Amino acid sequence: MHIASGFLSPPVWGTMAAVSGAALAGSLVVARRHLDERRVPLMGVMGAFIFAAQMVNFPILLVPGTSGHLGGGFLLAILLGAPLSMVAMTSVLVVQALVFQDGGLEALGANIFVMGVVPCLLGASVRGLWLRPQPGRLADILTFACGALGLVVSATGVILMLWLSGALPSAVSLAKAVLVMDSVHLLIGMVEGVVSVLVVRFVLATRREAVLGTVEPLGAGEVAA
Amino acid sequence: MTAYNRRTLIVGVAVAAVIAGVVSYFASSAPDGLEKFQEDQGAAAPAYPTVEAPPIAFQEYNFNGLGEGFWANAVAGVVGIGLVLGILLGVGRLLRRRCPVAPVGDDRAATRP
Repeated sequence: MHIASGFLSPPVWGTMAAVSGAALAGSLVVARRHLDERRVPLMGVMGAFIFAAQMVNFPILLVPGTSGHLGGGFLLAILLGAPLSMVAMTSVLVVQALVFQDGGLEALGANIFVMGVVPCLLGASVRGLWLRPQPGRLADILTFACGALGLVVSATGVILMLWLSGALPSAVSLAKAVLVMDSVHLLIGMVEGVVSVLVVRFVLATRREAVLGTVEPLGAGEVAA
Repeated sequence: MTAYNRRTLIVGVAVAAVIAGVVSYFASSAPDGLEKFQEDQGAAAPAYPTVEAPPIAFQEYNFNGLGEGFWANAVAGVVGIGLVLGILLGVGRLLRRRCPVAPVGDDRAATRP
């Protein structure tokens, strides 16, 4: 869902750059308290994993001729918390835009918003469920649902940005554009939800200490943050 | 570096490298949800001046000079994960160095006088 260059108006991409820039700055300030020694390598390899996963476009069988790929910010936020996942997603999106021409340079802030800020906040909101001693079916179900919801929210955000930029074709109403984008991204989001549950369960089983961390308050405090 | 962290890095990088270097070659080349929407609705052309990074070393996810085959994609994938990993390890180390007090339970705390 990387927004390419030339589709957002200067006021829109400027606003999004300011919002995402503020979110990143806040994350960097808070991130220090979240970085114990085991989490630096976990953050590094999870960022690399998301870069890799985003290269794998899978066909959406119900919508022929269309593909989707993982967002990943949601799953990063469950494993690392909101601030570190923001730092990791920003790194992925910056490398994609600067080196691989994936996403417009001026649209970087907008792309960080839809693939970083939104899913990172949603992921952090369910992180608390996974910090319990025995995460059960409730954690699976809510994670799946929020993962799917995240892509729908982001897809709606992209359409609103295009609409505000006057880059939607005049033949299409805003409502129809939202409906088309949301339905496709609900399907992609269901894949995101399933993959998130599987990866979180795997990393928790093998790297629980790094996921839990030793610095940040666990449980309710995390949800509030 | 502790054995724990070394293992995190080795396993994580191995998994990412296989996905970026090998699996991604077999990915769908169909447009993604946003691109498809823009094509179908006749809004595929940019409405504003475009600002894209120059394709100095890579043409999208293909290494320049290797065409569009398996190896061009594999080099792009491995370089990409290397860049992300390097940035994050660097930022992580910088942020930790600026942290005045070692976090509770930190391995550094045990070695401090």
